Amino acid sequence: MKRWHWALLLLLLFISLVVEFFFLSHSQEEGSHWWSSIPAFWILFGAAGSMTLIILAKLILGPVLYQREDDRND
Amino acid sequence: MIDLHIPPVAVMIIGAVIVPFLPRILRSIFTVLIPAATLAVILVVPTGSDPITLRLMDYTLVLSRIDPLSRIFGIIFAFICTIGGFYAYHLSDRWQQTAALLYAGSAIGVTFAGDYFTLFICWEMMAVASTILIWRAAGEESARAGFRYLLFHVFGGGLLFSGIILQVQGSGSFVITSLAGGHSTGSWLILLGVLVNAAVPPLHAWLTDAYPKATITGAVFLSAFTTKTAVYVLARLFPGWPILLVLGVIMTLYGVIYAILANDIRTILAYHIVSQVGFMVAGVGIGTEMAINGATAHAFSHILYTALLFMGAGAVLQATGKRRLTDLGGLYKKLPVVFWLYLIAAFSISGFPLFNGFISKSMTVAAAGEAHHPWAMLLMNLAAVGTFLSVGLKLPYFTWFGKEPHSDEKVEPLPLTMYFGMGLAAAVCVLHGLFPQLLYRLLPFEVHWNPFTRHHLVEAVQMLTITFIIFWTVRWRWLKPKKAVALDVDWLYRRPASFIRRWTVELVDDLFEGVERFGLKSAHWLTEQVKNPYFWRMAKPGRPVEYTPDKYRPASSQLILTLLGLFVLVMILSLLIRG
Repeated sequence: MKRWHWALLLLLLFISLVVEFFFLSHSQEEGSHWWSSIPAFWILFGAAGSMTLIILAKLILGPVLYQREDDRND
Repeated sequence: MIDLHIPPVAVMIIGAVIVPFLPRILRSIFTVLIPAATLAVILVVPTGSDPITLRLMDYTLVLSRIDPLSRIFGIIFAFICTIGGFYAYHLSDRWQQTAALLYAGSAIGVTFAGDYFTLFICWEMMAVASTILIWRAAGEESARAGFRYLLFHVFGGGLLFSGIILQVQGSGSFVITSLAGGHSTGSWLILLGVLVNAAVPPLHAWLTDAYPKATITGAVFLSAFTTKTAVYVLARLFPGWPILLVLGVIMTLYGVIYAILANDIRTILAYHIVSQVGFMVAGVGIGTEMAINGATAHAFSHILYTALLFMGAGAVLQATGKRRLTDLGGLYKKLPVVFWLYLIAAFSISGFPLFNGFISKSMTVAAAGEAHHPWAMLLMNLAAVGTFLSVGLKLPYFTWFGKEPHSDEKVEPLPLTMYFGMGLAAAVCVLHGLFPQLLYRLLPFEVHWNPFTRHHLVEAVQMLTITFIIFWTVRWRWLKPKKAVALDVDWLYRRPASFIRRWTVELVDDLFEGVERFGLKSAHWLTEQVKNPYFWRMAKPGRPVEYTPDKYRPASSQLILTLLGLFVLVMILSLLIRG
């Protein structure tokens, strides 16, 4: 990935944070949940969530569940 | 609006009966025209028009009952069948063309059925027609998967039928009404039967086992109908059943975890059907008007983008003959249009703003929050992250990009009609993403929901951007495809299958063969014994008689001599008497 791709991604995140901090009122959010007051919550959630899924699937369940394809042809 | 008084299912079924007898060109044209005509019938018949009924003995069957819920499902079923008709336009296989129409027609039949009998007949027709789409892929693998698929659906159909019998016994009526308020043995059996078709774990393995082994075009139809008719029936019969919320959330995560593990591109997509249907099942379980709207809207969007995903994967399979990520890679320069069309579907399923998944998934997730289920909201968002990770990033990256080991490999050109079918689906995914009201006005309840608020946009941008960054960082270390399959619950019945076959089939076969052999040997021995009763007189203990037929057979010369002697005697006697 080229440098400007990274720049674009970081710019997107930056804009989203600017909107979150300066143009959003958490009290207006539908339902207003406990996470509404955590800054950049969805960045943290996305990062933790994707790492959790990858680790759970590939590193924990994978070694247990993977089987050679030939063994499956029953 | 015009009241045509034609059940939409009749148009499809009559078409399915006619199509196999048409010449090849007409068959292809009819596979597009028939669902298009059905769509026209659904669109012109007003919601709430008089149901079309049929008397059967003492019962009145309601063949077609159009209300907002059935109408939106009927519209998308007929529409996706039309798109599928374009995608499969190049086919000459009359079995597939007929089965596809029959399958779609049966799904439409389920949707508009107003009584349990019609629903059950259409339900079973769906199972048979869809099995043909798996078997027509040919090969031992597809044959076995199709058989397992059929067995599963026979099991589910049995549960459904048992439930219907009990339900009809209890209520005294075949008419379908909501079971939201009543928990009975009958309703639980119906629920179980429907959950089989909704592919709720652990009853989902028929889907992830069979769909990847179906024909290229057949998988597109399969992705659209079976699970979504189940969602429709759940929304019709079981809105607000809390267990559905739990099962739905489990489905959303189960599907994405297995999709991360999978290597076959159509297996990845099959697991994503499980995951996406989970959003709908959860929505039905929440049961509020907004949640039912969300589930219905998501079913509509999902049918479009999942069909497009399967079309993209099918195009790769048709062009390269390969279906595993470990065998694919570097296809961007050879199949760029397929990539971009696939990407529209990937963005849609991942919930990118301005694509149709965003306007429907966000409604279901928000409905969970509104109904005070924040845990469900967070877990569904986690599943959305996993969806983008696997079907939005892993699959396209390792198919079209990644390393380029096959740069000198030729790819087969694809028929233009395949591109046209994909383009049509992609156009509607974008159209609904840009103008959600086009979809919202079809929903069963009034919509008070705006997906394009700053909150939703910030949430989506932050989650999707960070997921992309994480994918890019760890793609080769942790997400590299592995040439293996992940064991699923089907292992529980496929593994002991050989033992069960040994004890229930082969052992019985051996027993019958043994008894037959014993019977034949006994008969042979007995025949030998009774061939000549003289044998019994001659045989002595310790001195067996060697039996040869000649030894005991009177010589023919003796017979001739006797006859001659008699003749001479008669002659002499006659001479003496005359003399």
